[in-house]
Amino acid sequence: MTEQTNPQDIRPDTEPDILQQEKKAVEEIIAIRTITAENTIFCRTEGGFVRMEYQTPNGERKTYPRVSVHRCFPFSDPDHFISIREPEADGKEIGLIEDLNALPADMRAMLEEQMNLRYFTPKIRKVHSIKEEYGYAYWDVTTDRGACRFTVRMGGSNVYAIGPNRYLVNDIDGNRFEIPDLYKLSAKEIKQLDLFI
Amino acid sequence: MNDTIWKPVPRSVRKALEERGVPVQDICSLSVADMNNDGGLQNIYLLLTKERLYFAVSDQSGEMTYAGAVPPKRRQSEGIAELHTYPLSRLNSPKILNQVVGGLLTVDLDGEETWLCRFSGTKMHRMQRFCEDMQALIRSEPLKERENDGEEYCPQCGAPYPERGRAVCPKCMEKHTVFVRILQYFKNYKLRVAVMLTGVTISGLANAVWPYLSGSVLYDQVLGGGGELAEKLGIPGNAMLLLLILVLTMAGTHFIRHLTGIIHGRMTAFMVPDIVCKLKQRVFDSLKNLSVGFFTRRQTGSLMQRVNGDANEVMGFFIDGLPYFLFNIVTIALSVGVMFSMNWMLALVAIAMLPPAAIVCYVIGPRYWHATGRRARTVRAMYSLLNDDIVGARVVKAFGQEKSENKRFDKVNERVRAAEMRVVHYGNQYDIAYSLTRDIPNLLVWSVGALILLNTPGNFTYGELLTFVSYLTMLQGPLEFFSDVFRWWASSMNSAQRVFEIIDSNPEIQERENPLHMDIQGEVELRNVSFSYEPNKPVLKDINFHIRAGEMLGIVGKSGAGKSTLVNLISRLYDPDDGTVLLDGENVKDISFASLRGAVAMVSQETYIFMGTVAENIAYARPDASREEIVRAAIAASAHGFICRLPDGYDTVIGSGGRELSGGERQRVSIARAILADPKILVLDEATASVDTETERAIQASLEKLIQNRTTISIAHRLSTLRSADRLIVLDNGKLVESGTHEELVKQRGVYYKLLQLQSKALAMRGIE
Repeated sequence: MTEQTNPQDIRPDTEPDILQQEKKAVEEIIAIRTITAENTIFCRTEGGFVRMEYQTPNGERKTYPRVSVHRCFPFSDPDHFISIREPEADGKEIGLIEDLNALPADMRAMLEEQMNLRYFTPKIRKVHSIKEEYGYAYWDVTTDRGACRFTVRMGGSNVYAIGPNRYLVNDIDGNRFEIPDLYKLSAKEIKQLDLFI
Repeated sequence: MNDTIWKPVPRSVRKALEERGVPVQDICSLSVADMNNDGGLQNIYLLLTKERLYFAVSDQSGEMTYAGAVPPKRRQSEGIAELHTYPLSRLNSPKILNQVVGGLLTVDLDGEETWLCRFSGTKMHRMQRFCEDMQALIRSEPLKERENDGEEYCPQCGAPYPERGRAVCPKCMEKHTVFVRILQYFKNYKLRVAVMLTGVTISGLANAVWPYLSGSVLYDQVLGGGGELAEKLGIPGNAMLLLLILVLTMAGTHFIRHLTGIIHGRMTAFMVPDIVCKLKQRVFDSLKNLSVGFFTRRQTGSLMQRVNGDANEVMGFFIDGLPYFLFNIVTIALSVGVMFSMNWMLALVAIAMLPPAAIVCYVIGPRYWHATGRRARTVRAMYSLLNDDIVGARVVKAFGQEKSENKRFDKVNERVRAAEMRVVHYGNQYDIAYSLTRDIPNLLVWSVGALILLNTPGNFTYGELLTFVSYLTMLQGPLEFFSDVFRWWASSMNSAQRVFEIIDSNPEIQERENPLHMDIQGEVELRNVSFSYEPNKPVLKDINFHIRAGEMLGIVGKSGAGKSTLVNLISRLYDPDDGTVLLDGENVKDISFASLRGAVAMVSQETYIFMGTVAENIAYARPDASREEIVRAAIAASAHGFICRLPDGYDTVIGSGGRELSGGERQRVSIARAILADPKILVLDEATASVDTETERAIQASLEKLIQNRTTISIAHRLSTLRSADRLIVLDNGKLVESGTHEELVKQRGVYYKLLQLQSKALAMRGIE
């Protein structure tokens, strides 16, 4: 396998260097960095995002003009394990917040704001009708945000359980709706949902 | 042009904007966001002129209406609560930030990254265009001319199409047209259909005569000592002869019924498989023509169901349902007619009970079907769990999770039990209610009939009463049929709809009219090519490169960098969103599929083995290849060795149901396939990823022979695979970041250099080479 590189291409003095770098990079990938109120400052930007100043475990200070905030367990544990990431689509994780409630209230509010932007999921309060026709189901519901009408493709897993009696509905546009508790709906409404559940 | 832009905006809002001094005539791009900053439903109108961005918040809280739903009537009174204006000079680099649901429209406002508004997934498509327009206006570039692919609403009913880019409105594709279209399939069988329908009608008639013969005639005429009928026939008083005639007639009607039954059966047996086969063929033909995108969007299972189940379902109704419809109509009409002619009072009594029967069928029936549907779903869930467990048996055992798997199964099993109980429950309910509605009229007819007999003996006879009851009983079957036939009709039409949807769907990738038929020499060029599978998630960005015929190009990059997508564009499995792909200087869109597919062969990381022998699999692209050629190709792909070791050699049946090959073996078979196809352009997409180093070297050697005189595009993680490449390009995150010969790239000391050092040195350090 070595024959594809001419020996003069690789200067011996650079070798350990690059391997060292890579080792460091790998270590960085597998390290778990915890974000706490002690090592991090979050602040709101003018533009409605969150800026972050962070002190890495080895004492480096880093500033991120914008971070994105992801939940590791958006359904089962929304307040724990919040991943703070570089904002690019394939951005790396900066650190992990193990417990959102352990942060000061203003910081928590800031992060929650960002997560509300990210996880827009109206909760279905009332099902008016679900009509199935030609492989699509047309839903007419009232949610906590207001009346919503949307279309769900039949077949496949567009409605699925995310907890006991708790369901998530994906429509064809990639919007999401939540049924927080199936049994809080009336028997008639549940019957309409029978097609999916 | 301006009017089409304004389509999504209510007139009242437009007026309100005008009143607030927005130059509505100058608006060149427009978009509507569907939520306010807190995620409440509210319309926000974004408007662009050449100088300004207007941001207008509606004064009413909105309703969210997504694709596929008919939008509510536009409110006349909607106005504008807030209006913000931004000069474009203050804005820079607009972009859309994807969220889990929907996105944020973001700009640099005076240098500060700011999100302007949020919107749901429904608006993503439009917003993205708006964002592109804004970018162009900021740079003072002309707006991009777009083909009218954004038609989102059905012109007939105004409802948005359920699926963007596919102009099929299920509401407006009417059921009766589907019905007529299916009838077309029977066109070639006109005579048979006529024979069948006549047979059914005769059989209905014969059926309806039977109670009259066995009731009225037998009791009143024959047993009554040969009444009027005997006189009419010219055999007065001769009861025995009358009996003989009656028995013969009865036997005759029976015979006719059976005969027509046989004819019906034979006609059906002849037509159904034929028509179903034709229908499936049509579906399959269209399926093959559809582009790869169609398949990735849908689950394979549901597609398979369509090809198979739906065609059967449609025909089932047409073959069984329709003739019985006719049969039952004949039966009902005759029965009711005879009943009324015998005694209208009694007939009224009997008919009076029909509506309750119908109600029972209508009310309880659906519950029962619903329960059976539910049972079917739970059983399916159980099967998929079983499948899961059996396929994953190794993992279950390895982690010692038998108990928890049992628990999981118990849960599902319990659900099946519960569903089964419901079916039995509603089934019983249905049966009881139904027999009640059947028995009560019977009882009523018996008792009222008896009363009539007792009070006015001359008008009514025993035989007539018996006939009457038989006719009543005969009505039950058709009634039951009609209670179900509408559901049957609806589900059959749904199936037909699905079938036609596939038959009618236009492939996204279409051959141009009068395409170029040409001998492709293998020159490949990409000009400003961009591509995305989903809006706002570009996979390739502005890629340019040129490969001369016969050259080998290596593509390097991380997984997900867009390498495979790039080669998919060259073989035109997808079309680029922007830019052009040229082969021999011609746009691939102009080249005929035959020339294109004949010139490009691909060995990809997902090898696919078709059901058939090894030899057939190798000769897939050239079924006429000789045995010698097949063996040569196999040797060149270093597959010959393992094939010879198989007990059945090249005749070994592989693919689903056949012998399983290992990943490396499959890969070698597919390389042999490509070698035999002898293409001008060979695409190797991680072709040697799942073979061991030694085999790779063998394949490498044969590939080196193979790539002579042809253009080769090779994708690989292991750079050693690319050592014979004339030139290399490095993709990162959809962008072409480096290109050049090996030496040039090494000199550049960029991404490639780093990768190269890492791979060779890391291996060397571990003492592998």
